[in-house]
Amino acid sequence: MEINLTFDLNVYSLLVLKKSAYRYINKFSINFNVKNQNVICALSFSNKYTADQCNYFADQFKKEVLDQDLRETIKNETEPVRNLILAHAFSKTGLVDSE
Amino acid sequence: MLKLYGKIDFKNIAFKGWKLFYVTFNPNIPDILKSQFAFIVDNHNYKKGFGSYLSFEKVKKDIPNLFTLKNEFQYLSEGDVIRLDDNGGYACIFRLSSRYNTLLLTEQCNHYCLMCSQPPKKQDDSWLLDQSMKIIEMIPKNTESMGFSGGEPTLYGEGFVNLLRRTKLTLPNTGLDVLTNGRAFAQESFTKSIADVAHPNCTFGIPLYSHDPVRHNYVVQAENAFDETIKGILNLKAYNQRVEIRVVIHKQTIDHLIETCRYITKNLIFVDHVALMGLEITGFTRANLDKLWVDPYEYKNILSEAVRILNHYNISTSVYNHQLCTVNNDVLPNYQKSISDWKNEFVGECDGCQKKSECGGFFSSSIKYRYSDNIKAFA
Amino acid sequence: MSKFQEIEFYKKPETKYELLPFRFINLSEDQLLLTNLVGEYYLTDREVLDDLVRHRLDRENSAYSSLRSRHFLYDEQTSIAKDLLKIKYRTRFNKLDEFTSLHMFVVSLRCEHSCPYCQVSRQSDDKIKYDMSKEIASKSVDLALRSPSKNIKIEFQGGESLLNFDLIKYIVEEAKLRNTDKNLGFVIATNLAVVTQEILDYCLIHDIHISTSLDGPRDLHNKNRPRPGRNSYEKTVEGIKLARETLGFDKVNAIMTTTESSLAIPEKIIDEYLLHNFSGIFLRPLSPYGFAIKTKKFNEYNAARWFEFYKLGLEYIIKLNKEGVIFREFYTSTILKKIFTFSDTGYVDLMSPAGIGIAAVVYNYDGSVFASDEGRMLAEMGEDKFKLGNVLSDTYKDIFLSDALLDPLEESFASSVPMCSECAFESYCGSDPVYHYATTKDFVGRKPESDFCYRNMNVFKYIFNRMNSDMYVEKLFMSWSK
Repeated sequence: MEINLTFDLNVYSLLVLKKSAYRYINKFSINFNVKNQNVICALSFSNKYTADQCNYFADQFKKEVLDQDLRETIKNETEPVRNLILAHAFSKTGLVDSE
Repeated sequence: MLKLYGKIDFKNIAFKGWKLFYVTFNPNIPDILKSQFAFIVDNHNYKKGFGSYLSFEKVKKDIPNLFTLKNEFQYLSEGDVIRLDDNGGYACIFRLSSRYNTLLLTEQCNHYCLMCSQPPKKQDDSWLLDQSMKIIEMIPKNTESMGFSGGEPTLYGEGFVNLLRRTKLTLPNTGLDVLTNGRAFAQESFTKSIADVAHPNCTFGIPLYSHDPVRHNYVVQAENAFDETIKGILNLKAYNQRVEIRVVIHKQTIDHLIETCRYITKNLIFVDHVALMGLEITGFTRANLDKLWVDPYEYKNILSEAVRILNHYNISTSVYNHQLCTVNNDVLPNYQKSISDWKNEFVGECDGCQKKSECGGFFSSSIKYRYSDNIKAFA
Repeated sequence: MSKFQEIEFYKKPETKYELLPFRFINLSEDQLLLTNLVGEYYLTDREVLDDLVRHRLDRENSAYSSLRSRHFLYDEQTSIAKDLLKIKYRTRFNKLDEFTSLHMFVVSLRCEHSCPYCQVSRQSDDKIKYDMSKEIASKSVDLALRSPSKNIKIEFQGGESLLNFDLIKYIVEEAKLRNTDKNLGFVIATNLAVVTQEILDYCLIHDIHISTSLDGPRDLHNKNRPRPGRNSYEKTVEGIKLARETLGFDKVNAIMTTTESSLAIPEKIIDEYLLHNFSGIFLRPLSPYGFAIKTKKFNEYNAARWFEFYKLGLEYIIKLNKEGVIFREFYTSTILKKIFTFSDTGYVDLMSPAGIGIAAVVYNYDGSVFASDEGRMLAEMGEDKFKLGNVLSDTYKDIFLSDALLDPLEESFASSVPMCSECAFESYCGSDPVYHYATTKDFVGRKPESDFCYRNMNVFKYIFNRMNSDMYVEKLFMSWSK
């Protein structure tokens, strides 16, 4: 069975969609097609799943996209401070200096 | 509670400024040493040559450097150290029989804690540092432990380092407890100079009142206190100094006590000891009582949980200044009896209590002003 | 007297708070778990998470001050968070300095049992072919003592290790002789069928511990572990008794292997451990190596069914504790240690960077060195991907700096691989390059398809949910994390 979902690229990045799709790699395979500012995700399910199950997974996928989007936001915002902390963690001195 | 300070009216004082003396009842102190001693004199035993004289009754002879003390000072014993001032003031500085001698280094402080038991004064009292340097010389070498406190002792900077060094050299076998807000140690260079002294047995007792910086700063009434205190603790531990964290439990610190202890286990797990302390109703506490007072009996479950968390992470923890009937049994392994070695005082509700000998009792200030409504004798 | 300021005075003018690195996952429909860079966690709901990330979280919200002190966000009130994080993060990897601490010596492949799930044994009397030689043993001891670790544990494996007890004695004595500055510990993994009083007396003198297999009640155990005489269970129980009498109660340990037949009866298996006075049990997953795959034991078995087995077992153990029986589940307590103390537990299968070579290493009977016991098993199936070298021909450097070790370590590092890198459980989990290579021919595998991932994710979720909904369980689990 195949289910098509459309996402607006102004709202979700392709990276977010790919990451979400990866998590369902054992449930369905996916094809991405970009048309204008939209991405059409074609979800292909194996025959062993019922229609209800397929719809459920598609729903879960949409929720996952929301989560991944949130994760992207957190990651982008915290990337600099994460690098700072890691760099300091593994620098030679372990001491805290007062500024 | 012992009275430590007093002043006489009639003066016949030959020395200038202040001097320290050993208290003695022994008239046969060798002549060469007599000037170091304050002899307890009465109408029958006067011997001349002593540095000063103390009496508890009116003495007829015209004795030089005589201080007639109030009766409350009868506790003075052989070998105690007393300071006598040329303006008639006298103070017991060191008591041989006490395990808790603490030297006041200054009354100046960069904090203004809501519950401060030694309210800060702004005037220059660096003579207290000089006094301490001299007292160190007079303390018996076999003294087990003593303390430094204030105000904030580290405000002396290099002066404090010198005192620490002098103490190490003069009293190498005496354990030392330094009460400090720890902020000076946020400067790594200061921490290093303290560490270089290499005192063999010194613990820095540093208060931390909340995991929440705003609340901690509020309790100590100082901005940036939280950050600098934490940094100070980290630096001290990086230089292998012993650190004790002290938490005074009252209405401003009880709500988040558990989260605060959790914070200690996550960020300061390497500290050597945590002291959870009940409130003493002296100094500023009385002025802020409405903000501070909470009946310990009402927070005993919170206290139990806080102790449980600290115990779980193997952080050595003690509970001070609580009465046995206000804590749960699970806290008993961590319960410390002594508030001080002064007589443990009790109230009427304690009559007939079977556990009096194991209980810390009360501060006299608590008895006078406020204590738990739930004191109940154990059958 | 100066005035005292109100608490508002100490609130610096508020600016927007900043986020610190963290990850999140759904524990249930409405409960989320947040974990940060150093494994601190916070349970909350979707609304708080959304507000937090969108910088809309109200300071008066009870979550706010906890999130700040647990280092999920920082604001203008304090600037100490980053310093604390870097110290804690560094602490997480402290143990790496120690390097390899567990050294397994396969002293013989010979064994009189023929357990279907066994990875390596040979039913044979050919000592020349299947026993480790003194020369190989000697070289291996030198390599083991080269490790920078202050505490070395030498574990004797097989086959049935006691069938080559003379070599065990040689290794113990040589290790003690050549040791200069380490604490040495010794363990013999054995089925105890051939143990004698003489052997146990030797173990007592040299402080050697015993680790044996007890799969469950008699029928299950004997079914899992056939031997001539069909009396593996009886022999094991007798051996345990004898070993305890000679060595002391706490020097004898038992582990179980989970098979198809075990899955239906977790309570009975636990009862067996209670019967023999063990303080806990390790509910192990079945490994997909060796005879297990050959005999298709692995295909019959999957992570979901094991998880049901685990839940039943864990719930039974919780119930036992409620009734005053002190008994622990060790897989859970390993995970709890990681959650509560963020410290390295040394459990090879749940470490990142992977425990292969870093935490443990195997010296095989023929001198070949493997990055882990599973790596050895894989080699028995014809895949020697995790063979690091040979003690007879390679130096310490050759072996521990070989690509065979470094490649899987680097490629499987959990912080860098898909899905793991953003998983909220990453701080507590591990990478298992050997398992993933065995099942997918890739060190990383695809986590959505990985039984390793499925199993661990479900266990983590279960643990957090259980603690969150039951104060007793939270206290119990905390006590297990010691």
